[in-house]
Amino acid sequence: MTKAACLLVAALGLGGCAHHNTLYAWGGYDGLLYQSYKDPTKTAVLLTKLETHVLALEQGGAKVAPGLYAEVGTLYLQIGKADKATVYYTKERDAWPESRPLMDTLIAHVGDRKPVAPKAAMPAASTATEVKS
Amino acid sequence: MRTLFIAVGTAVTLFLGGCAHAPQAKADLSAFQAAAPRSILVVTPVNHSLDVDAPNYLLSTLAIPLAEKGFYVFPVNTTKVVLEQEGYYEGEQIQKQSPVDLAKLFGADAVLYVTINRWDAQYAVLAASVTVNFDYRIVFKDGTELWKTQQQMVYTPQATNAGNPLANLIAAAVTAALTRAAPDYLPLARQANGLALVTGPAAIPDGPYKPAK
Repeated sequence: MTKAACLLVAALGLGGCAHHNTLYAWGGYDGLLYQSYKDPTKTAVLLTKLETHVLALEQGGAKVAPGLYAEVGTLYLQIGKADKATVYYTKERDAWPESRPLMDTLIAHVGDRKPVAPKAAMPAASTATEVKS
Repeated sequence: MRTLFIAVGTAVTLFLGGCAHAPQAKADLSAFQAAAPRSILVVTPVNHSLDVDAPNYLLSTLAIPLAEKGFYVFPVNTTKVVLEQEGYYEGEQIQKQSPVDLAKLFGADAVLYVTINRWDAQYAVLAASVTVNFDYRIVFKDGTELWKTQQQMVYTPQATNAGNPLANLIAAAVTAALTRAAPDYLPLARQANGLALVTGPAAIPDGPYKPAK
């Protein structure tokens, strides 16, 4: 009886250890993104699930993984919701100092409806634009 | 007789030497450790496979291993959208740009470039296998290459042994048909990334957000 209890505790303990090996809870981010690339109609699912996931983490006081807030922001921007995009870009900026330059630029341009890169450091891809037009 | 001893002795020495040299595959991480990047920008991979969707699929799997290794990883889909706004759609176009400019554009410490060498399935009569092969390269914001490696993974579905030759044949045929219908590259890509970046002999050092053990 006690032996079984010990084994059970050991098993639970190991399970706990395995869980603590990851720094963040990702909420199926990679699979959802993969599905949305495979079938763009799944992009709405990606947005809903990712937003639900980050809000649940916030409520539980857990750290949200790098990039997740910003991904939600961009998905909102792509459906024309600039206010929501600003909210999520701001959350990313406040959570991760490394994201500040990019987030500040994205926030400054949400009114443009689409993300704009910070000051043109790279030459514009003129050949690609010509091919497209 | 003496020559024989010498010959044997030499052979043993050579053999031992061979052994000692065998596990030296440990990568040189000094450049990476000296640069100590905090953030990594992941851009759309270059595609040398015949599957046009491979770069996007692979892109979706690259953020998690790097973030779990302790780095700030720029949101991969947001990065892709921003670069597309600038006219950069293909990995090849992006890799032709200066890494210095690219890092500056996003405020990144380093850039991860990945090239897809293989992303395909091979079919035999009663079996199938799926192969991925990637080159990975991390370049610092000053243009210095910090790290690179190559990783291949092969998946061959194992038909369950029913203990009956005919049943086994049918099971193998079913497995091959399923793989043919929808080869699932995602688990293979995840495994390749995990080995290359996190657990393999050439894995990158831990980033700033990885708690010290």
